Amino acid sequence: MFPPKLYPVPVLQTIFSRIAWFAALILLQALVCSHIHLGGYAIPLPYVYLLCILPMAAPRWVFILTGFVTGLAADIMVNTPGMAAASMTACGLLAPMVCPLFAPTDAEMDEFRPSAVTMKWSGFLSYAAVLTLAHCILFFAIEAFTLSLWPEMALTCLASAALTMLFITAFEMLRKPHIKG
Amino acid sequence: MFYLLDFFRKNSYLLLFLVLETVSFILLFRFNHYQGSVWLSSANEVAAGVQNLYTGIERYTALGQVNERLTSENLRLQMENARLRKALTQATHDSTLTERLLADHLAGYDLIPATVVSNMVGTRHNYLVIDRGTNHGVRPEMGVVGGGGIVGIVYLAGANHALVIPVTNKKSSISCRIRGQNYFGYLQWDGKSLLHAAVDDIPRYARVKVGDVVETSGYSSVFPPGLFVGRIKGIGNSADGQSYRLNVTLGTDFARLSDVCVIATPYKAEIDTLRSKADEDLLGE
Repeated sequence: MFPPKLYPVPVLQTIFSRIAWFAALILLQALVCSHIHLGGYAIPLPYVYLLCILPMAAPRWVFILTGFVTGLAADIMVNTPGMAAASMTACGLLAPMVCPLFAPTDAEMDEFRPSAVTMKWSGFLSYAAVLTLAHCILFFAIEAFTLSLWPEMALTCLASAALTMLFITAFEMLRKPHIKG
Repeated sequence: MFYLLDFFRKNSYLLLFLVLETVSFILLFRFNHYQGSVWLSSANEVAAGVQNLYTGIERYTALGQVNERLTSENLRLQMENARLRKALTQATHDSTLTERLLADHLAGYDLIPATVVSNMVGTRHNYLVIDRGTNHGVRPEMGVVGGGGIVGIVYLAGANHALVIPVTNKKSSISCRIRGQNYFGYLQWDGKSLLHAAVDDIPRYARVKVGDVVETSGYSSVFPPGLFVGRIKGIGNSADGQSYRLNVTLGTDFARLSDVCVIATPYKAEIDTLRSKADEDLLGE
């Protein structure tokens, strides 16, 4: 009934862990995901996972800056200058507002770490789905830069968000044992 | 301004967000041709819209001056239109036989065109005021004619206007004759109708009939001979019974009189001098 007890994590380990996730997600995007066009619509954008796992204790500017840097790196690697940076910066602004909606009501937000452990799968996946969908909508809207093709754009957004959620679920399954340990 | 700064101090992440979004979109428009061109055209459209709005406001605020200019221009065009219409009417006017005959008779005389600016009719002492005076060569006792025939005689002349005693005045008396017969009498108005006057002192042996033309005799220095006066409407007896009294339908419609000419008789001064000399000599004897 009660959320699992959180154990303090050394700061240096956390920083290295984030950098490792950052590098892994960007490389995955550049080398694998950007070459996937499932059905001509679905393109996974899994680097948004980095925002999903940022602790709520971090100041809001850290969310925004993390989103910008991640998006910029993805842009550089995939050659979409400005698109991912703009959409991820907006997601960085949204994340601290969305997370409390899906967090347990008795959770202390100052020390809260979003994960499948702390929020359960449904809460975490909902939180990730909102961020992912927002990111996909912004990214493909900026890419199309017109509303005249909105049916195709909507299909692309939904398909890409769904595919991205598969990646995020897999990442979270990989990360969950470490959180417990 | 203070509240704005305070807001950003408390929510500095919003400022960071705006800055990073700006950087992102600069990168987007700088390195993506499609988005850059769309942005440029949209920005141009917005700029053009703002410019149009500004121009519209500027033009609206200047409407007062435009209206003043249009009003003065409209007035000028109306005046020019009236002048041209008058000139066109004169140029294309189909003159009647009477007018042509009048023009032929007055060929050797100086004519001063004038316009009637005041027309006093309906009384027994009618008079006209014309817009020409001594500055234009008009002198008292000069004859005045219109398109239909004689009008009257200048009584007083000011610098720019003159008063004319028309035929339809009880004091008017103009020497006339029957065309082709040289019987002459004096045209006088009975004070009844503006269209009719009477010629007295026509001898009884004269062969006159209704419809004959009455014209100026030329015995005075005011009118040259042969100017149309009117036509005989009826023949009656004079008050003393010694002569005929001819009822004449006048050629000039005094109720609608507008354009007239003053006859500057070239020999009037000479004739007047001779007459005054003769009067002095005769009275002296």
